[in-house]
Amino acid sequence: MTLFKRLIDWIDVRIGARQLAKEELVDYLLPANINFWYSMGSILLFIFVMQVVTGILLLIYYVPDADKAFRSVTFIMNDVPFGWLIRMCHAVGSNMMVLVLLLHMFSVLFMGSYKSPRELNWVTGFILLTLVQGISLTGYLLPWSQLSFWATTVATNSVSAIPAVGQYLVEFLRGGKLVGPPTLGRFFALHVAVIPLTIAAVVGLHLFLLERIGVSTPPFGLKETKNPWRPDGFRYEDHPGGIPFFPNYALQDLTSISIYLACFLGVVFFDPYLFFPKDAFLPANAFQTPAHIKPEWYFLANYQTLKIFPNEFIGLAVQGAAMTFLALLPFIDRGPEKHPLKRPVFMICAIGGILLWIGLGIWGHYS
Amino acid sequence: MLALFGVMIPFFSMAAQQPEIVCIQCHSTMPGKLGEPVKLWRGSIHAENGIACNACHGGDPADAANAMSPARGFLGAPKETAIPDFCGRCHVGVKNDYLASAHGRALGRGGPTCVTCHGNHLVLKASLNLINEQSCSRCHSFERARVIKAAMKETEDMIVAIDARITAYKAHGTDTGKLEKELFAVRNRFHTLFHNVDVELVRRDSAQIQDELKKIQNTLQGLDDSYRKRKIAGAVAVAGALLAALLLHVLRKTYD
Repeated sequence: MTLFKRLIDWIDVRIGARQLAKEELVDYLLPANINFWYSMGSILLFIFVMQVVTGILLLIYYVPDADKAFRSVTFIMNDVPFGWLIRMCHAVGSNMMVLVLLLHMFSVLFMGSYKSPRELNWVTGFILLTLVQGISLTGYLLPWSQLSFWATTVATNSVSAIPAVGQYLVEFLRGGKLVGPPTLGRFFALHVAVIPLTIAAVVGLHLFLLERIGVSTPPFGLKETKNPWRPDGFRYEDHPGGIPFFPNYALQDLTSISIYLACFLGVVFFDPYLFFPKDAFLPANAFQTPAHIKPEWYFLANYQTLKIFPNEFIGLAVQGAAMTFLALLPFIDRGPEKHPLKRPVFMICAIGGILLWIGLGIWGHYS
Repeated sequence: MLALFGVMIPFFSMAAQQPEIVCIQCHSTMPGKLGEPVKLWRGSIHAENGIACNACHGGDPADAANAMSPARGFLGAPKETAIPDFCGRCHVGVKNDYLASAHGRALGRGGPTCVTCHGNHLVLKASLNLINEQSCSRCHSFERARVIKAAMKETEDMIVAIDARITAYKAHGTDTGKLEKELFAVRNRFHTLFHNVDVELVRRDSAQIQDELKKIQNTLQGLDDSYRKRKIAGAVAVAGALLAALLLHVLRKTYD
């Protein structure tokens, strides 16, 4: 008997580990027509863990003090063994997290997985999207570079367009009239404690809902693609005759994570500067406004929307309305059909919306 | 709900600029001679390095009412003979080089001042390009200047190439502070020759300066090697991830 088997036996007789693994992994059946897009959630979990691990490693040398932050990041990049790799993984990883999250969201949209009874899965996922945007925005300030300082100045200033309370909100966010040391303190606390803990909690809730309700059936390769759910009582969506999570789909998850890793490492090692303009490596200077401060790629559409409208408040209201519509989509789109090709109006709206978002982003980049 | 998500999404506006100093606020709106310096200054090496009006002209850049008060140190524009001292408050070594040169010795007697070659508000980065036929022949023949410029060309090209490499590394997050300081010192030493008209001295000193520049080039070569190694490691890591994906995919197929 190997040491490993003895260890498993020891645990098994105490907590019934084998029975738990059988019930939750081997006998956990997924739809027979499940596809690659269902592994996006696992990739996102992997990225989140990577962000936490690299973030903790960065915390060892990072100093959240306006006088020392830039120097500490420079030290990490140049003097700490593999510090450059850890920082690049963290920065590139944050962009990848947004990208994969959007892909996850698009796949849920097109496969109609947000429909009843999964409204709460969609809403928790949407909250995660805003939290990931929030953690990215707060993390942007921490290196205390020209890019950090001015992007945060611009972003926080936008809140001033909210009638009546706008100016108070700006000062609350910044901890003063201008972006300065108190802003760094606030954003640091949000970035390393408040938002990650909230993300972990909401991810837990998202997974709990998945576990309680069951995995949705993809609408592809089926004769009947209408949503079978009826609001007459709770019912777990099981998949008799489906494929086991372990080892089948777990291997698919690992394959997808490996493909993601190849893309991620490709960017980290060959062109991480895709996400770092020149101003990202100059120390913050409150008296020198860089010529072209642009937000991260995923905020470019928001940025351009504000520029289109003559009044900033209208720009904010339009964005708020669009985000609210997206958050409440499962309550608005109540049709039973899940197959994207049998939902032409939805498809036109969804693809039009995505193209508009991309178009506004490109416009924002070149404006 | 709208308000909830309204504050959760990030917004961007164009109206977020730190206030400019009062000199620029007023003069940038003025026509003609009074507004021209601001436009010229914006394209200068001084503007690039954050050296604003008050750094040279004195005064109080934060108080519009007293910005040009002598009591707040306002100096205004210097007279022609006072220009070397005006610029020399910061460029001490260059001022001494200039005063010792044929140009400096002719100060007040029709000779050029600092701004004759370097410009006043559109101050350009000191480079060999400032020695050119169009500029020099305003006062004298270009022949001697041409010989001196030729003697300096190789060193100048080395400096420009090293500067570009340092800038590229800086834009990648490399700590180039030490290299920048070294290049700054060597470049300054080289620029002391710019006011000299002794061709032999220029050639001899240029050779010594090139030895210093080669040391900086060696450091940059070390950085090149380090970045090359990172790329090789990256290629191995990417290949490893792709291989793992392939093996896992094949393994999954065995369970179908």
